[in-house]
Amino acid sequence: MLKVLRLARRLAVGGVIVAGALSGPALAAETLKIGVVGGLTGPGAAWGLAIDAGAKIAAAEINAKGGLSIGGKPHTVEVVSYDDQYKAASAVTAVNRLIDQDEVKFILGPIGSASLLAIKPITERNKVILLSNTYTAKALENTGYVFRVLPTTQEYNASFIDWLKTNRPAIRSVALLSPNDETGWNSQKVQTEAYGKAGFTIAAAELFERQQTDFRAVLTRILASKPDAIELDTTPPPTAGLVVRQARELGFSGQFTKFGGVNVAEIVKGAGAENAEGMLGYFAADPDSKEWAWLQTEYAKHHPNEMSDFTFFFYDAAKLLLAAIGRAGTATDTDAVRAQIEQGAPFDTLLGKAFWGGKAAYGIDHQLVTPSFLGEIQKGKGKVIARLAAQ
Amino acid sequence: MLTQVLLIAAMSSALYMLLALGFTLIFGILRIVNFAHGEFVMIGAYAVFALTSGLGLGYAAALPLAALLAGGLGLLAERALFRRYAGDELGGMIMSLALAITLQGAAAVLFTIDQQSVERPVTGVLRIGDAVLPKDQLFVAGFALAAVAAFHLLVQRTRFGLALRAVAQDPETLRLQGVSPRRLYPAAFGIGCLLAGLAGALTAPLYTIHPYMGETAILKAFIVVVLGGLGSVPGAIAASVLLGVTEAAVSTWLGVTAATLTSFVAVMAILLVKPTGLGGRA
Repeated sequence: MLKVLRLARRLAVGGVIVAGALSGPALAAETLKIGVVGGLTGPGAAWGLAIDAGAKIAAAEINAKGGLSIGGKPHTVEVVSYDDQYKAASAVTAVNRLIDQDEVKFILGPIGSASLLAIKPITERNKVILLSNTYTAKALENTGYVFRVLPTTQEYNASFIDWLKTNRPAIRSVALLSPNDETGWNSQKVQTEAYGKAGFTIAAAELFERQQTDFRAVLTRILASKPDAIELDTTPPPTAGLVVRQARELGFSGQFTKFGGVNVAEIVKGAGAENAEGMLGYFAADPDSKEWAWLQTEYAKHHPNEMSDFTFFFYDAAKLLLAAIGRAGTATDTDAVRAQIEQGAPFDTLLGKAFWGGKAAYGIDHQLVTPSFLGEIQKGKGKVIARLAAQ
Repeated sequence: MLTQVLLIAAMSSALYMLLALGFTLIFGILRIVNFAHGEFVMIGAYAVFALTSGLGLGYAAALPLAALLAGGLGLLAERALFRRYAGDELGGMIMSLALAITLQGAAAVLFTIDQQSVERPVTGVLRIGDAVLPKDQLFVAGFALAAVAAFHLLVQRTRFGLALRAVAQDPETLRLQGVSPRRLYPAAFGIGCLLAGLAGALTAPLYTIHPYMGETAILKAFIVVVLGGLGSVPGAIAASVLLGVTEAAVSTWLGVTAATLTSFVAVMAILLVKPTGLGGRA
């Protein structure tokens, strides 16, 4: 009988130890949920997955160190991602779900301007902090809780266009091609002003539908204006590749520029290396850098596709957000966290020092300013030819 | 510029015909609006990519194999998923939407969301006056027209085609003649998907391939088929030409936005005047 009791006691003690071991981490750390809204499927998926991976890489990094300390308590960071399919209506559904059901106070994304403008009233009303990237100037108008964590053409294209004027003096007229939506309307307006201010003639300014794959008609129209260069602006990189190839086939031998962002691999796939040779564009980061190699390795742990350079911005954004929450000592008072985000600058990012700017252009210093890279496609690869400091 | 516009219109029209033909065939026979039609275009494109890049086959061998694969999968889909929905337009539509989403997801898992490209079998351009005609587009348009002609002969000159026309016109009467319409459904669905796969395989070298490429294809096919009349092959051909010419002309002279607007205004105008479309039956 005694033996049976001893055995029962040992089993009971063992059970408690096992249960304690299993539930240990859950009891030791609370959970901090960070929301992600972006196109995880569909044509804009490369960008949406960059938000998701950027957040998850930063979360994994901090969780590996025992979690994020908020008010002295360790918190496990959990990333909750929803797909907006690059559509405003889906973004509204995703944000409502994040706020109402997941009780999230911090969201990374979205990418689409239409999505951001649709969800902004909801996040502002609920005092939810949004670390976003959209090219529309309206993103930061009349806002308190929206931060833009990626420089847009507004921030860097004057420097790029100055470089073009100095280093490619034969180019005098430029034709612009942009998507026919809020993103494209805004970026084309910004590009038109910047090229005009630098003394270039705007030979043509055309829009296209995002689902379009055949551009021969619009290119016929553009080529009739005889531009020296075609600026592809915020045209998605795979689409830009098709435009380049079709323009070359129609006989265009001039310069291509893409100061609205370049993904070399996707452009080369669509255009072919020969047609894309010499294209100049904005690179978010240097593809030959050790930071790129490291981030690509980390990205591959989350998604099998080719990494978009947007991952840099959302990894850094997630890190600066988590650091601000830690400093604020609260995961519920978003005013305190917002103050810490604003005061945390300058930030050390993978790209170098970054800080908040934008007061003159948008009325609020919620625009992240980072160094930027002017790159050229050479033999199918991206090469950085000038590094421009954050300004 | 006029020659260039006409060439662009001709190329687009041929492609639209091929895209729309299978879509309208399936509706004409099974009364199913197959929203997964674009995904069979995607299957044809990925099949060519896999056969050429993965197995090292030449494009000439990969093209028919890709079309046959899409057709075979279509046949299986009819047997497994659509058979019970023949004549049930709503049920078939919902099943086809579910199939479309499933196929997109499967392609994203198998091939990732990265864009892929297929090496072009034909390169270079022909110059006609000031106008430029890329040879790869000419090849695609020529092949598409040949496929449309072959389909026309199949439907008009064979006993099988006669049976297809009969089931489209009056399945009850055909049944009275001793032919079961259900025996024709798999073949019709398979041929429809084969044509979609052929369109995907043909256009794969022209554009890039990705899991969501079917959405653009179905949009064009849908406009053509609504304009031409659901189920009408001659209507689809006429609508393809109308859409191709309108898009090319309006895009060139007024811009892409105006062209998109004009396409939909044309659909509305024709449906107001002739609700069954250009060649549709009531």
